This record gives sequence, structure tokens and C-alpha cells, in this order.
Amino acid sequence: MRALARRNWSTLVLLGPPLVFLVVVFAFPLARVIWGSFFAPDFTLQFYERMWTVPVYGRVFWITLKISALTTLFCILLGYPAAYFLASVRPGTRQMLLLCVIVPFFLSVLVRNYVWMVLLQRTGLVNRLLLDWGVIAQPLELMYNELGVLVAMVNTLLPYMIFPVLSALLAVPPELRHASASLGAGAVRTFWRVTLPLSLPGVAAGGLLVFIVALGFFITPALLGGPKQMMISNLIEFSVRQVLNWPFAFALANTLLWGTLALYFVHVRLLEGRLSKAGLP
Amino acid sequence: MRASRITGRRVKRWLARAVLTVLGGSVLAFLVVPVFSVIPMSLSSSMVFELIPTAPGWSQYRRFFGSPEWMVALGRSVQVALGTTVVATTLGTLAALGLVRIRSRWRAVLEAALISSRIVPSIVFAVAAYFVFSQVGLVGRVAGLVVAHSVLAFPFVVVLVSSALHSFDRSLEEASQSLGAGPVRTFFRITFPQIRLAVFGGALFAFNVSFDEVVVTLFISGVHSKTLPVKVWDAILYEITPILPAISTLIIVASVLMLTPLLLYRRRS
Repeated sequence: MRALARRNWSTLVLLGPPLVFLVVVFAFPLARVIWGSFFAPDFTLQFYERMWTVPVYGRVFWITLKISALTTLFCILLGYPAAYFLASVRPGTRQMLLLCVIVPFFLSVLVRNYVWMVLLQRTGLVNRLLLDWGVIAQPLELMYNELGVLVAMVNTLLPYMIFPVLSALLAVPPELRHASASLGAGAVRTFWRVTLPLSLPGVAAGGLLVFIVALGFFITPALLGGPKQMMISNLIEFSVRQVLNWPFAFALANTLLWGTLALYFVHVRLLEGRLSKAGLP
Repeated sequence: MRASRITGRRVKRWLARAVLTVLGGSVLAFLVVPVFSVIPMSLSSSMVFELIPTAPGWSQYRRFFGSPEWMVALGRSVQVALGTTVVATTLGTLAALGLVRIRSRWRAVLEAALISSRIVPSIVFAVAAYFVFSQVGLVGRVAGLVVAHSVLAFPFVVVLVSSALHSFDRSLEEASQSLGAGPVRTFFRITFPQIRLAVFGGALFAFNVSFDEVVVTLFISGVHSKTLPVKVWDAILYEITPILPAISTLIIVASVLMLTPLLLYRRRS
């Protein structure tokens, strides 16, 4: 009995400081945002109404959803073959090749976006190579538009797609493929009927994660997008820093927050309750 | 007839393999090559921006290290990152040690709460921190940056140390305590030596997270305490200077140096 009490006591001592820290500097500020979106100082829904009734803001939401959906689509289209390739090589080779996915994942997002700006600008490397090879006669507009935002976002978010698909593919028992082949199915048919269906949960989990993270993107649309690529995060920053409309920014932030949390809950459910580490190692 | 069908199948399989390799290889190249293409650009010696240096040299690096303004930002970044490393590693390790002691379903709830700062979009936390910190005078202060960065960095420590503690035999702790060692002594003599690689890895992560953080820092760093990434952000938006590729290269090199021990650790475990 005393041992048990002592044990509870030590758990409390260990978890106390981190929890207090989180409540004070994380949970409280977030609660303040939620509160501030409804009370200014009396209860009002005018900031949410404004969000839905002013067409410009509706457009920002639409753009955010569209860019996130397109990013997810391209991450699936590029990430699946990459994961399939990684699953098909020998484990030693795979470890080496995985560095190509892991290393950029940990590099500064700002630096990576800056490099895309340098590569995609009118006088950038991509345009120069295409001009030199005679593919184009005029430099292409590769940034300050949707294309630039998509290229950099897909580049940043691909690892979120490749990791879950790869682990889903590696979990497919090789006996199933052998069985399918010995029953007369060709490689293509085995892929469509056996491997692909079994790896779809990985695609769903990865795709949802990409979509969730994409919704909150700020740096990429700010640097590589034009005025037509303003996403929710950029509108929040604009409301706070340029027009100082705090309650409206709070309403936007609160909407983004609950949208993200709801989708994240679905994501956790997709993994059958296993807690996803949100890209943590 | 039959032989030719087998050769046909073999050719087909070889073709499929080649297509897969080219496709997968290009995606992997798309991930790595662009970032590192900044390194040759950084060797430009020209005062105007050049993509491929005509006369390679270190002059941009010299300009960076010779500029008091950039050095102040770099110093502040290192200071904030070191502070974050201490705070996040301490709190994260405590949280992980507490988590393993819980066996009920509360554990999943607590774990979710502890890593929740990685799920909330950074802009939301940025606005929240900016509003609350400005009321208590923490905006534009190193302390404010350390606190905010610690919130973002400490989930990494929790996850790494928790997974190390899973493979650690808790009965050793009980044995130590039953032999009369207090909890603190037990931690430093028994537990810590077992998890120190994970703690060290978590510390590296925390440093890296802080050193690269832009969005939250943009809001709470104020005019007078800009970190290196915030200075870079300003430079990107307001003046494309030839110094940026050199700074980018240095940031990349710093991250790779910190990542290397982590990757070696991953291979060991």
C-alpha cells in the first residue's frame, strides 16, 4: 500500500513539471485564442460570420483546401512508386536510399523553400537549362503561382507519404505474392489484386497526414505563391500583423485548429487507435 | 514456343524493374538534389547574384562572418537553441520517465497531450504565443523564444526517451531502491546510463528544432531580437543578396552534423 502511494507520488513529481509547463505556455495561450474568437468582450459570432459571408475569405478557405488536396494527390502519385521501389530493393540498399528521404526531412524548411525560389525564378536554374537546351524560347513563370507552391509543398511533404506506404508494403507477406504468382497471375495482376489493396491503409494514413500538415502551411505559400495562393495561415498572419484584427485572426486560427484536430482524430482511428507520432521518429 | 514465352516474360519483368527503378530513383533525386544545389551557388564571389559561380571562392562566407549584424543573429540563435535544448531535454525526459510508470489507458491520453504541440499548426501557436507573451513582456526576449521553442521541441525528447525506456528493465530500478538507494541516486546510477543515448539524441533534436524555427519566431522575436532564420526570412523577402546561399549552406551543414549521430544511433538500435 505504501509502495503504491510512493509510486503515484513519484509519477506525479515526474509528470508535474512538464504538464504545468505545457498548460501555462501552450494550452493557456490556445484557450485564450478560442476565448478571444467568441468574446470581444461580450459573446459574439460576428467574426465567424464574417469569415463565411465575405467572399474573399471564403476564397482563401477554398484555395487552402484545393492546394492541400492537390499536394496530397501528387504526394500519392510520386510517393507510392518511390515507396514501392524502396520496398523492392535489398535491406542494405534500402537503408542507404532511405537517407534520401530522411536527410531532407530534417533540413530547415525555410532553406528548402529559399532554394526552390532560386531554382524556379525567371532567371533560375530550371529556366536557364530549358532555354539552353532550346526546349523553350521564353522563360516560364514557375513561381508566384500555384505551380511553385505545389512543387515546394510536394517536395516538403513527400516523406510523410513515403514512410507509411513503405511500412505498409513491407508488412505484406511475400508468401501472398508467391501464392498469387504460382496460381498463374502475372506481376501486374498480382500488384493490382494483392499488393495494392493490402498497402491502401498506408496510402490512406500517409495521404491524410500530408493533407493535415498541408492545411497549416505558411512558409511555402508566402514565399513561392502569389496573391492568389494565400492560404489560411497567411490570412491569419496578415490579420494580426498588417491589419491588427485580433478577434478575426483568432476565429480563423480556431477554425484551422479544430479542422486539423478533427482530421487528426480520423487519422489516429485509421491506424486502429495506434497513436501516430505525427512525423516524429 | 514455350521458351519464347518465358523469355518474353523475363524481358517484361526486366522492363518493369527498370521503369520502377527510374521512377523511384527520380522521386528520391527530387527530394535530395534541389536542397544541395545551393552549395555550389554559395561559392560565388560576385557581388551580384549568380547561379553558377564564374570564379569560385569563399567571399560570401567571409562577408557573413564579417558582418556584425548577421553575427548577432547567429549568436542569438545559438543562445536560444542551447536554452531550448536544456529546457526541452529536462522536461521531456521527466515526462517520459513519468509516462512509463502509468499502466492505465490514461497513458495514451497523456502521451497525446504531451506531443500535441506537434499537431497544432504552427501559425495557431504563433498567434496564441504572440498575444499572451506580449501581455507579460516576453516578446522580443530570448527567454520568450526559449519557452516557445521548448514547447515545439520537447515532444521529440518524449518520444525518443519513451521508446528507449520501453526496452529498459524496470526491475533494475526496483532492485536499486530496495537496496536503499533514493530515487535520484537510482536515476543517475541505474536509469540514466541506460537511456543516455536517447536523451542525447533528444537534445540534438531539440537544438535543431529551435535553430530552424521560423513561424513562431517571426511573431515573438520582435524587432530587436531576430534569430538567424528570421533574418534570412527578411533577407529573402526584401533583398535577394548573394550572401543567402552561403548562409543556407551553413544551416544545412549544421543540421547534417547534428543528424549524423542520430542516424548512427538509429542503426545501432
